[in-house]
Amino acid sequence: MSRTTDIIVAGEGLAGLMAAYKAATGNCRVRVISQGMGSLAISPGCIDVLGYDLTGKRLENPFGGMEMLGPDHPYSILGKENIEAALGDLIECARMEGLVLKGATDENGVGRNILMPTIMGTLKPTYLVDAANEIHELEQAQKILVISVKGFRDCRPRLIISQLRRYPALAEKEFSSLVLPSPFTEKGRSLNALDLAHAADRAKGRDWMLNALRNKGKNFDLALMPPMLGALANSGIRKIAAETLGCPYLELISVPPGVTGLRIRNALINRLHSMNVEFYENAQITHAEIANGECRSLTVSSSGREMIHKPRAVIVATGGIINGGVILGQGHAREAIFGLNIPVPENVDKWTEPEIFGKHLATRLGVRVNSNLQALDADGSIVLKNVFFAGRTLGGYDYASEKSGHGVACATGWMAGKLAAAAIKTADQPAQAASGADQ
Amino acid sequence: MNVRINPDKCIACTTCVANCPVSKATPKYLGPRMIGPAYERFRLLAIPEDESLTYCSNCKNCDITCPQGVSVSGINMLARARHSKRNGSSLRDWVLAHGELQAKLLQLIPAGLKNFGMLNPLTRLVLDKLGIDRRAPLPPFAPKTFRQMMRHVQQPELDKKVVFYPGCYVDVYDPQTGLDMVWAFNRAGYQVISPDNFECCGLPMIANGFWEDAKKRARNNLTELARWQKENIPAVTGCPSCALVFRQELPEYFPELVDTIGSGILEDAQDFLLACAEKGELSLEEAPDQKDLAIIYHAPCHLRAQGNGLPGFRLLQELKGVKITAADAGCCGISGSYGFKKEKYDIAQDIGADLFEAVKKSRADLAASECGTCRVQITHGTGKKTLHPVTIFRSRIEGTKLPD
Repeated sequence: MSRTTDIIVAGEGLAGLMAAYKAATGNCRVRVISQGMGSLAISPGCIDVLGYDLTGKRLENPFGGMEMLGPDHPYSILGKENIEAALGDLIECARMEGLVLKGATDENGVGRNILMPTIMGTLKPTYLVDAANEIHELEQAQKILVISVKGFRDCRPRLIISQLRRYPALAEKEFSSLVLPSPFTEKGRSLNALDLAHAADRAKGRDWMLNALRNKGKNFDLALMPPMLGALANSGIRKIAAETLGCPYLELISVPPGVTGLRIRNALINRLHSMNVEFYENAQITHAEIANGECRSLTVSSSGREMIHKPRAVIVATGGIINGGVILGQGHAREAIFGLNIPVPENVDKWTEPEIFGKHLATRLGVRVNSNLQALDADGSIVLKNVFFAGRTLGGYDYASEKSGHGVACATGWMAGKLAAAAIKTADQPAQAASGADQ
Repeated sequence: MNVRINPDKCIACTTCVANCPVSKATPKYLGPRMIGPAYERFRLLAIPEDESLTYCSNCKNCDITCPQGVSVSGINMLARARHSKRNGSSLRDWVLAHGELQAKLLQLIPAGLKNFGMLNPLTRLVLDKLGIDRRAPLPPFAPKTFRQMMRHVQQPELDKKVVFYPGCYVDVYDPQTGLDMVWAFNRAGYQVISPDNFECCGLPMIANGFWEDAKKRARNNLTELARWQKENIPAVTGCPSCALVFRQELPEYFPELVDTIGSGILEDAQDFLLACAEKGELSLEEAPDQKDLAIIYHAPCHLRAQGNGLPGFRLLQELKGVKITAADAGCCGISGSYGFKKEKYDIAQDIGADLFEAVKKSRADLAASECGTCRVQITHGTGKKTLHPVTIFRSRIEGTKLPD
């Protein structure tokens, strides 16, 4: 009995955490089982919804290119209303833990993508950003200060400036650079953004950082800096940094560990703890028992011992190829827990394109599902009635070329949580079974 | 020392870096990814060891968070063992690795005298010179070891039996937790056997680079466990670190022993009790007329690493008069003997700072954690009384005062 629960969520990336959140708000007992932490922890905490359409054209409106997407795309399956509701819940969840996620809007109040600068001096369209104050945009500023810290090898203001200047819209901007002294007196490894962010979460480091930044932006419209303003959802320094600096700021999208993703993770984990969601970390699901088209139990390998968990519904958010949710072999691919076959060309050469930033089959292969996020077999029949798929385990979308990764994870995770909770409610109330399934 | 862990499963994603408590506390540590899988490739080329390897505390947060299943801490411990074998070890590390042996040698000396001898300012000064920080919360010896006390415990004759592995901490410093454990198992209908043959699980030796000593203990412990396994008697421990050694480290480090003797199965005692409760063998009825109890719970890293959830937390959660909250504030910093070391003490306190703050802020009546040294560290950092969940469980069911 200790291993029975309502819903097991496999995976604790953004999709898994959103699924757990939504399922727990539906009054279900939820258990998250994970091997490793999921890429949210190392990613930038911007929520890309849809950055480019299928032709590669950059989208002004994150929802604008959705009609163009194919019927198997997770966004087409979910519909705009659900995607917006999911993003709304993520914003609310973050807000409750002190993290402000915001999307820019146009003059009509419609959501709008903004271009976020990266630590490599490139621009990337994204929708929700960590915005303790207002949303500021690079294009609207004229005098821009690029800040780094001594010993931080991955953040080089001169490189960033020379790269940004290659964009015609930025070529005429007045850029300056500033390298702050390092807060670490001990000799040691080279710095990264996370080291600085961790420091900023303690009184001593915060004081150092505020002192180092004080009035440095006085003569500028905008400052760009690495994501060093705290790693927690509610790091207080982000609220006061602009005032101390003397100008608005943007935190650059950084290479892993990206820091800002950790903030979102921190917010979600805090929410889930307060909702009594259980976590089984460092546990790998190795086998699923299926009877009558339903998953009855999951065998979990926990440091060498096998444990049987008995859920009433399962949400699979185990990630894609890199995180082990999709397993590849010579000429075949399968989903990791249930072994669902994912059709691929036998010739492995066809899985990738010669153009590195092209549209590779490998980045969009995954489980095919119906509108209830249940897996379908080759004939289009439901394989497992009580199993719902979310995040990068799903096929039909190309997160890399579309810039839609966190958006799909958030929306499909949310939806899977909702559907799983509804399925359990339906099973508990047989009389209402007919009306409850699609809720 | 012919075991190697393949570093090539690592894709350098930095998830371990984002979650390493030591990296967070000091720039002197290269970090789990660099000193683990990345440096392992240099080790294979026989390039000299990087000295920051000693900063790994073996807390296993890298392993817990790694999406690729790389045993980063395992790579580090094996590298440390090879390094110690080649270069020798300090007396300080020997002392910290062999607490079990010292306790045995000092067994005949009364605890009061022993504690005076070990914990007086002069000895602490000498130990400090040796490299054991003067401020470190060395736990005092108990008047009698758990095993000495166990000989006089009157247990009811029960059909079902369970073998209890106390672990050094309970045996030498905290026998009361062991006795509470015996009480709980008796109540669930199990008579407790605690064989004298068990020795230290070997973790302090592994963490300090005394590989052969750890192996010797492993051989003995696995042989003893196999004996009970043959009789179909389950074996349990209340110590997460001991459990992790048996479940994960021995098969990883000493596969030849596990292959010949068998992998000793050591269950989590709290999980076992929880299962008893759910089968109806163990009543969760608390004694009447007690004030409600607010508890802040710290999940030991070595428990989280087992992939078995938080059974001790859940056991207390099942009690109606207990309001238990998870601190969820990361590692406590002590990592066995790591936080006792002079050059690591400040790092350990820095690591534990978030947890200390969470405990202080909680205004709970007391703190709870399964791991003995985590409890020492929490009390050291907060002044809050910290007990094993099973001790609290017993006090609630019996309606008795909590031990000091």
